[in-house]
Amino acid sequence: MKRIGVFLESFIVVIIIVALGHTFLEDFSVLAGWTVAARRWIIWAGLGIDLIFTIEFFCRLYFALMSGEAVDYFIRQRGWIDFMASIPLLLFNSLPNTLALLAGAGLITGLGSFLNVLKVIKAVRIARILRLLRVVKLFRRIRYARSPMAQRHIAIITTISVTVLVVWVLAANLLGSMGVLPGLETSFLASQSEHSRYLAQAGANAAALAARSREVAALDSTLLVARPQGGSTSWTRYDDLYYAAHFLAGDYEYFDVNGVESFFDGRPLSRAAAKEGIVFFVAILLSVLAYLLLYSPRFALGITDPIHVMKRGMEESGYNLEVKIPSRQADDDVFELARLYNSIFLPLKDRGSTQEEQTAALGIDDIRSFVEKE
Amino acid sequence: MRKMDAQSNAIQRFISRMFETPALKALPALQKEEQVLQFLKQNGPQLQPLLASMGIAATADWQETVGGLVREIRSLADRMLENEIQRAIDVRLQFSFYPALSSGRQPPPKVREELGALCRRIANHPVGRRALSGSLSAALSDITDKYIPQIWERRKYIYVEVTRVQRLSLKAEECADLLRFTLLIRPAAYLHAMADRQLGPETGFAPVQEQALQRALHGLSAQLSATPPEIVRMAVRGALPFPGTRGLEAISRLTTISALRGRALAPTLVVDRGADSPDKSWFNITRRNAAWRGLDPRMLDELYSIAAENRW
Repeated sequence: MKRIGVFLESFIVVIIIVALGHTFLEDFSVLAGWTVAARRWIIWAGLGIDLIFTIEFFCRLYFALMSGEAVDYFIRQRGWIDFMASIPLLLFNSLPNTLALLAGAGLITGLGSFLNVLKVIKAVRIARILRLLRVVKLFRRIRYARSPMAQRHIAIITTISVTVLVVWVLAANLLGSMGVLPGLETSFLASQSEHSRYLAQAGANAAALAARSREVAALDSTLLVARPQGGSTSWTRYDDLYYAAHFLAGDYEYFDVNGVESFFDGRPLSRAAAKEGIVFFVAILLSVLAYLLLYSPRFALGITDPIHVMKRGMEESGYNLEVKIPSRQADDDVFELARLYNSIFLPLKDRGSTQEEQTAALGIDDIRSFVEKE
Repeated sequence: MRKMDAQSNAIQRFISRMFETPALKALPALQKEEQVLQFLKQNGPQLQPLLASMGIAATADWQETVGGLVREIRSLADRMLENEIQRAIDVRLQFSFYPALSSGRQPPPKVREELGALCRRIANHPVGRRALSGSLSAALSDITDKYIPQIWERRKYIYVEVTRVQRLSLKAEECADLLRFTLLIRPAAYLHAMADRQLGPETGFAPVQEQALQRALHGLSAQLSATPPEIVRMAVRGALPFPGTRGLEAISRLTTISALRGRALAPTLVVDRGADSPDKSWFNITRRNAAWRGLDPRMLDELYSIAAENRW
């Protein structure tokens, strides 16, 4: 049973690493202009990963509930990270994207009604940022420090900083969509919306719609298709085969004004979002690595190492090494304690060792180990 | 008879395995012996199941079983000790100090023989064995090779005490050689002055009474007839307290400090990150306890500085 547990934990660590790679590739594929086929695979992989994490969360929650430790799991063991980095992502990101794929995203004519649903989902696509919480999950599972205290403290700091970053990015995007913090996306969509209203003035007249479309297309290179609702296409920039080869459902901006449907190219916005995503991804990864590689050793040198030396000195009769006190940190509480350990405890211990027999350096486990080999 | 042999073989195998455990492997014979005896004392009858799985049948009287184990421990330690004594005398001692301390005479061949015989006599007595443990370990280690050249280079307190106060015209390597020699003789002070005392943790290291030592000195000089009496004197006087003994020779003080350091040497000790080096730690702790241990605090200060500078 224990072996299965270890295997599953290791499996989750591997999946987290895969998920982080996937998060990067999801954005990179947009920036690098990967083919639709490759991006489809990335979407399927995203669904698989989010499903695994959702199952993982429910399993952990179930076992925590069974042992009456659900609150402890959710709060102290950071089950909330497991939750945030699984269910919302599945519901708001990977599942809708996959459904769009299944709806035949390449064939623009069949997409209209579905794109209305996708539009809502796109408003919360920033939920992808929640994936970065997995960085915390990853480093929580890997033992990188000798001392549990060091590991716990670094985990707390990492969790705080990553969560603050992620929550703020989410909040900033929400504020953006509410118009409090308008950005490039707002003006981009406002321009497309204005053009779609202009096209709508043509009404059901296909020839007028085509003429207006040509006018708009000359000004706005993102206009792709214009057609009366339910009717045949009045104007299109490319043929259906081109759309199937270069566009996914999420790449369109869709407007339906007074019975006139217009499709715009949303890829410039996707690219901007992907760039933002990569910037945040790298920033979070770098900050976590900085904590691990720069802060963690300092924490060990300044806190856990001296404590470890003092602990050994108190536990083992033959261990009489002093704590090294760096002059720059001599007034730190830990080193104040270490100074007393060096100057009072160790000399007293040395005197004590002359009055009573010392503990043998040999332990019963040493004997057991060679007896077992015999 | 066959059963007895099997039991004896099993005990031999068990003890030799104990001596080879990673915790003890690098220790000198007497320290191994001390540790194993201490272990037996502390763990006692708990060991019975482990002994049984090694084929050692515990008798009804546990003390009897222990007696058999202790005999084998001593016998194995003795065999190893013989090699160590031989190595200390034949390899570590060059007697280069001899001409300077005996009006230019070369050491007679008998000096090695006599010293070997003395060491064996010391090792046959529990008190002497305790005292020999630190001394032999120091003589075999590189303590003298490391510190004496540094002392000579610095020309501070210890150098002045040896060359000006004690008036020994020795080169650094001669002084180191002399120190190894006096280290091997020093335990004899305890053999003669404290032989009737009960064994305690400080046996072989605590200061002894000057009168008791004076009585022993005469007999000891006779046993080491090939060694100049002043060398024997400075070696055994290391067992006297400082301050408190008028005119205590610098070499005597240095010998005692080295013997104590030898006792605390732990070759397998892993220096954790955040811990100071073993020598620096030891000298710093010992200089704080210098008065209590009867050691020269200024010598300890200087040795501490050397250890700190060299990160020993």
